Amino acid sequence: MTRTLHVAFASAIDVLLGSYLGTVVWCVVVPAVVLGPAAPPIMMNVWASVLGGVVGLCFSLVGASIGRSALEQRWPSGWQRNAVVHASWLLLVVTIAAGWIITRIDPLQLFSQQGLEGASRIFTALFTPETAIIGQAIGAMVETIYLAFMATVFAVPFSFLLSFFSARNLMRDTAIRRSVYVVVRFITNFSRSIEPLIWAIVFSVWVGIGPFAGMLALVVHTIASLTKQYAEQIEDVDHGPMEAIEATGARRVQVIWFSVVPQCVIPFLSFTIYRWDINVRMATVIGLVGGGGIGNMLIQYQGLAQWNEVGMIVIIIATVVWLMDVISARVREALK
Amino acid sequence: MTPLVTARDVSLVYPNGYQALYDVSFDVHPGEFLVVIGLSGSGKSTLMRTVNRLLEPTSGTITVDGVDVTHVAGEPLRQHRRNIGMIFQQFNLIKRHSVINNVLYGALGSMSTWQALSGNYSSDQRETAMRCLEIVGIADRAHHRADALSGGQQQRVAIARALMQQPKLLLADEPVASLDPATSHSVMRYLEVLNKEYGTTVVCNLHFLSLVRQYASRVIALKGGRKVFEGMPTDITEDWFKAIYGEDAVEVEIE
Ligand SMILES: Nc1ncnc2c1ncn2[C@@H]1O[C@H](COP(=O)(O)OP(=O)(O)O)[C@@H](O)[C@H]1O
Ligand SMILES: [Mg+2]
Repeated sequence: MTRTLHVAFASAIDVLLGSYLGTVVWCVVVPAVVLGPAAPPIMMNVWASVLGGVVGLCFSLVGASIGRSALEQRWPSGWQRNAVVHASWLLLVVTIAAGWIITRIDPLQLFSQQGLEGASRIFTALFTPETAIIGQAIGAMVETIYLAFMATVFAVPFSFLLSFFSARNLMRDTAIRRSVYVVVRFITNFSRSIEPLIWAIVFSVWVGIGPFAGMLALVVHTIASLTKQYAEQIEDVDHGPMEAIEATGARRVQVIWFSVVPQCVIPFLSFTIYRWDINVRMATVIGLVGGGGIGNMLIQYQGLAQWNEVGMIVIIIATVVWLMDVISARVREALK
Repeated sequence: MTPLVTARDVSLVYPNGYQALYDVSFDVHPGEFLVVIGLSGSGKSTLMRTVNRLLEPTSGTITVDGVDVTHVAGEPLRQHRRNIGMIFQQFNLIKRHSVINNVLYGALGSMSTWQALSGNYSSDQRETAMRCLEIVGIADRAHHRADALSGGQQQRVAIARALMQQPKLLLADEPVASLDPATSHSVMRYLEVLNKEYGTTVVCNLHFLSLVRQYASRVIALKGGRKVFEGMPTDITEDWFKAIYGEDAVEVEIE
């Protein structure tokens, strides 16, 4: 039974790889080679995929199976070995070629007359920052720092509560706890996999463009990230004190409060400060899509092609990010 | 005299399928100092944890004071644990908290969640906690952080925490295994005081036979999760010793 499954799984991998190869060769590589720059945008072609899949299956049937080699982590013997090795190289080369074509890589652009002129224009401007806007820029930076701070503050109580429900060591003894654990883990992992930038777009439609939208975006992301970090810390606690408090006949909440929490407060504080630091950086980027603060200012001057102003803003961002990084590292070191 | 604890055919299989106890039966009589010996891994800690029900036996029964506690849960389970104090090899104090608070945690079982979380101990409880510290001779350290104390002192704080529960029974899981010989005796002597002067029943897991002979009023021995011996400390002859600890074992003294 498992043997059949294994073979089916290996063949499925071969079919997928074959149809991938067929599609990429026919839809990306061939047009680029034949038509050059005149090639149309990529269009999928079902027949290329099917044909590739069939070839993949044939390889699988004659024993030259990449899927099987990967699953068993050893090469087949005989001529099939050569076939598998060559097919693997072909996959790699075609993938890199397709990547080159799709990314439209053109090193000449970097060094063309026009390109070099553009580069010198922007670098000159960036290195001669417009100091007239320094007050305004610092004001916007302060907005960003507070935005990041508030996002962290709002997220902490939620993360604190949720972390206990997503710590495996506290949630494994009954079926109910295990299901709560799975649900909380799923929700936090899922919301963490959505970038704050996307959340910012969502909230700027919801509550309007501005710092509030940016903060909400960061709150969601911070809750998810801190919950995970806190929970990992909880999973690391010494279980001895838990057992000791449990043995006194204490309730579950008491056990956690008196034996788990004291072991976690300092690391939690340290994670939180680091999160604030990360949030300042993220808040800058979020400002670009309407999350307020310095990012918002940056995108406006960029839109007006006022590069001296942009240079000023970049210098302020870089300085603040660097300072926050140094300070938060020092504070975290002191907390150890 | 009716036993305080009756264990009958207690077996325990851990969730990973490992069977740590095989049909172990024994009684604990009020006022005795029962010592459990056996090689490391023989099931001593497991057995002790079935008595205060940190672990639930897979089969068999445990009766304490005439009440079957084998499968109790919820409030009755907490009530059962409240009546039994426990101390551990690693002391298991809350390191960052003060000595007196650690002792007060012995009262958590009898407090409402809110009272406990807000640290709202009655003046009665505070006095009792101080008295417990006096019994183990470290009342002067009450306001130090627990991890500022030496190992022996920490174990005495742990004893005070157990005393705070006013337990019918005190379980001690290798209480001196992480201490040096001199400190070991001082801790063992406090257990002896509780047993002889305050009449607390004690069940204690021990490693060293010399300590067993000095402090135990009765001994049981475990080997591979089975009870292989039950008798007086003086009954442990050379042959028994080899049966319990293996042919190659040599007794070492702790003075
Ligand atoms: N949580 C557990 N899960 C599985 N096996 C365990 C667990 N705890 C202890 N054991 C095993 O049960 C046996 C008895 O352990 P223990 O009661 O701690 O022995 P002792 O206290 O005599 O050294 C050992 O073999 C140990 O590895
Ligand atoms: Mg043990």
